[in-house]
Amino acid sequence: MIQLIHVSKQYDQRLALSDVTFEIGKGEFVLLMGPSGAGKSTLLRMLIGAERPDEGQIFVHQKNVTTIRPSEVPYLRRKVGTVFQDFRLLPKKSVFDNVALPLLVQGVSSADIRRKVTEALRAVGVEHKRDQLPAGLSTGEQQRVCIARAIVNGPVVLLADEPTGNLDPALTSEIIELFKLINARGTTVVVATHDPLVMMQVNRRVLTLSQGRLLPEHRGLG
Amino acid sequence: MRTLSYLLRESWVNMRTNRTTTMVAILTTAFTLACVGVFLLLYVNLRTAAGWLQDDVKIMVYLDDRLAPDSVAEVEQRLRGDRAVASLLFISKEQALGEFKAQFPSESHLLEGLGQNPLPASFVVALSPSFRSPDAIKRWAERVRQDSGISKVDYNQDWIDALATVIRSIELVAIGIGVILSAAAVTIIANTIRLTLFARRDEIAILRLIGATTSFIRIPYLLEGAVLGALGSALSLAMLKFMYELFRQQMRTMGRFAGLDNLIAFFPPSVCLALIAVGMGLGVAGSFVSMRRFGEAKA
Ligand SMILES: Nc1ncnc2c1ncn2[C@@H]1O[C@H](COP(=O)(O)OP(=O)(O)OP(=O)(O)O)[C@@H](O)[C@H]1O
Ligand SMILES: [Mg+2]
Repeated sequence: MIQLIHVSKQYDQRLALSDVTFEIGKGEFVLLMGPSGAGKSTLLRMLIGAERPDEGQIFVHQKNVTTIRPSEVPYLRRKVGTVFQDFRLLPKKSVFDNVALPLLVQGVSSADIRRKVTEALRAVGVEHKRDQLPAGLSTGEQQRVCIARAIVNGPVVLLADEPTGNLDPALTSEIIELFKLINARGTTVVVATHDPLVMMQVNRRVLTLSQGRLLPEHRGLG
Repeated sequence: MRTLSYLLRESWVNMRTNRTTTMVAILTTAFTLACVGVFLLLYVNLRTAAGWLQDDVKIMVYLDDRLAPDSVAEVEQRLRGDRAVASLLFISKEQALGEFKAQFPSESHLLEGLGQNPLPASFVVALSPSFRSPDAIKRWAERVRQDSGISKVDYNQDWIDALATVIRSIELVAIGIGVILSAAAVTIIANTIRLTLFARRDEIAILRLIGATTSFIRIPYLLEGAVLGALGSALSLAMLKFMYELFRQQMRTMGRFAGLDNLIAFFPPSVCLALIAVGMGLGVAGSFVSMRRFGEAKA
């Protein structure tokens, strides 16, 4: 599903990623760990074509994203859901409209939008907040709305960059449980985090980056 | 359907959020385009007037005094066969003399003193519409002047040439001012759109992340540009129309120009629509300019 072959990336003299090679299969749940500045966000941005490596090849869903044309990037992103630490919800749109956005930009019919958004909101457990503005929700709920928006399309991969960065330990484990559920339904999930608490909860592959290099792989302690 | 209504709503919300900027943009665009419009109106009216005057141009073809009546008929045949000639009127020597006497009764004794009639016979020629431009008149006159049996071809050349020059310079000025002020209108609208783009940069980034295509992201801003341009253009036409009516009113009350006010015309509806479409085009161009500069195409 995701394959990196000798990927390197440099930001004016500073190495963000150095000769990174790994593969993530379909349906896996993988943690991407490492201290701040290790290159986790850079790696995730490359997977959605927002950044290009200086060297190496990256494949996502059989597509070589190193050579992808800018006009193809939107179609890649419709297959890859993304969740961020800072939520990135539209403040003036209701929860429903926020989650509907990925469908709207694809021209999905109103009836299908209603059905899929309702399903996604139910899956993350914020169905009852559908008509509220994001500001009226707790941080945990806001993150759930973000996850709903990321899965509403039925993506093949879900990428989460520091999804629990703004959450307390209780909420963190709730969100991680949610990712496990989504993964159980067949979606490949990659969670980037520097939070050791997350690793305590998941008994899955852990890829660790340190100063742009990949350390030997191990398993989570969950 | 939902997508379309979303896009329309987005541009509407953009314009409402920046109500003041939008108003200012429409007003400045309107003033700018009205300046172009004044010249355009002047140009159109002068051209019409020139057209009338040129339609009235009569060319005098004077015949050689020694020409036999047969040859006169031959010249007439030749002129009638000419594609450029619309109508023809023969004026004999006697008619010419009669006219002279009628026009200048006090000077008629001058001619009588000569003993014989010195005035030549002539044809008064009116040219067909497609040969009435100053250049065409000139070319025709020069060609006919060389024909046999013709002594002289006369028309009000200086006057026609002067008019042609004036029209050509107004045309140049109108094009120059039009280009410069259109560029100004594009810039005004581009700046307005840039403010919107800047205010919504986070939203644009989110749209990119969830897989919106560049064209989808651009549509609300292109629509906004089109609306600003069209409204600016429509408003400029309204201002022009107002000034035009005021001007006519003024002419009517000033006795000297009474009657002339009916001769100047405003743009016909089709031209007004075309001008609004041009304004819309300028607005869309402005949107494009600002989107290029803003670099929203970047991922
Ligand atoms: N756009 C950029 N321009 C310059 N340097 C950058 C840019 N993006 C990232 N970097 C640098 O690349 C390195 C890796 O950054 P990255 O954001 O990938 O780290 P991270 O592991 O996500 O860290 P964090 O846990 O703080 O989010 C850092 O040294 C960072 O300063
Ligand atoms: Mg990061």
